[in-house]
Amino acid sequence: MRKILVVDDAKVIRMVIKQTLTRNGFQVAGEAGNGREALEKYKELKPDAVTMDIVMPEVDGIQGLKEIMAFDKQAKVIMISAIDQRDSLKEAIRHGATDYVVKPFEDERMIDALKNIFHDADSQSAETARI
Amino acid sequence: MNITQDNLKVIEIMSRLSIDRASRALSKILRTGAKISLSRVYIADFTETTEKMNEDPREMTSVMVNFKGNVGCKLLFMLPMEGALILTDLFLRQPAGTTKAYDDDTQSVVQELGNILASHISNALVSDFNATLVPQPPQVYSDYAGVLFTNLVMEQGMMDDQLLLIETTFEICRTALECYLFLVPEMTSFGKLLDNLGVTL
Repeated sequence: MRKILVVDDAKVIRMVIKQTLTRNGFQVAGEAGNGREALEKYKELKPDAVTMDIVMPEVDGIQGLKEIMAFDKQAKVIMISAIDQRDSLKEAIRHGATDYVVKPFEDERMIDALKNIFHDADSQSAETARI
Repeated sequence: MNITQDNLKVIEIMSRLSIDRASRALSKILRTGAKISLSRVYIADFTETTEKMNEDPREMTSVMVNFKGNVGCKLLFMLPMEGALILTDLFLRQPAGTTKAYDDDTQSVVQELGNILASHISNALVSDFNATLVPQPPQVYSDYAGVLFTNLVMEQGMMDDQLLLIETTFEICRTALECYLFLVPEMTSFGKLLDNLGVTL
């Protein structure tokens, strides 16, 4: 079962995301309330993917993304934010985000984003094994 | 800074467009009709508005959001405590009446609603009017309406001689929730926004 780290400063959003993940066959590895906690939890829990809010106190999600990617270049991070602006999207992509989901979103959108990540990763592994 | 009635009209149109977007986002997240309507855009007499707010005896919970960028602005969303309980049930898809008291969950819902409102208002201003503004983490406070309003305006009022208020009403479908949503842009930001539209201040 794939393990996901949920990062958002709003407790209720973490709760809603956790419920959605569990209902769809994912395991919630842990949760964090800002970018700094996210990196600590990432190192500790080694999740398969991260859902990351952008606007958070202390260390925001873009900084959290940068730090996680610096620690693990293969990290899979999906940004989940109500900010739907070109600059934010560009910055997230530039720093290695795998996908960008705008809040409010339908559950399927987030689950599809995760399934795509793992589908791509599985395809890559199979290709590498064949070679 | 001299703002004409024509300038106010332009600001009113910009506000209406951005508030419409926020309203749609809110309806989606609450899965019920949420309607935010623009009441008026006006240069405020600080004392008069504060007195009006002081007449509201309700204890409220509020979320305040600062925006960062070339358009300085603050948002204040205030709702009565019982309204926060209703919104918590809607947000968490619980039967009405499940949330009985204001707690961490309620505070978190208010925080997130402030985030959604602020983000979608800024998204509209950025995409439609070439502004640069990004909301900062929301802060939740609870107190009487007058106190909350004064806190917001004092900070803004100290920076500007005049205060421009964008006042709205907020309705949730089938639930008459009397809330306040204020947008308080910095006066100096108007030049930039109106310039982007080719309007002279």
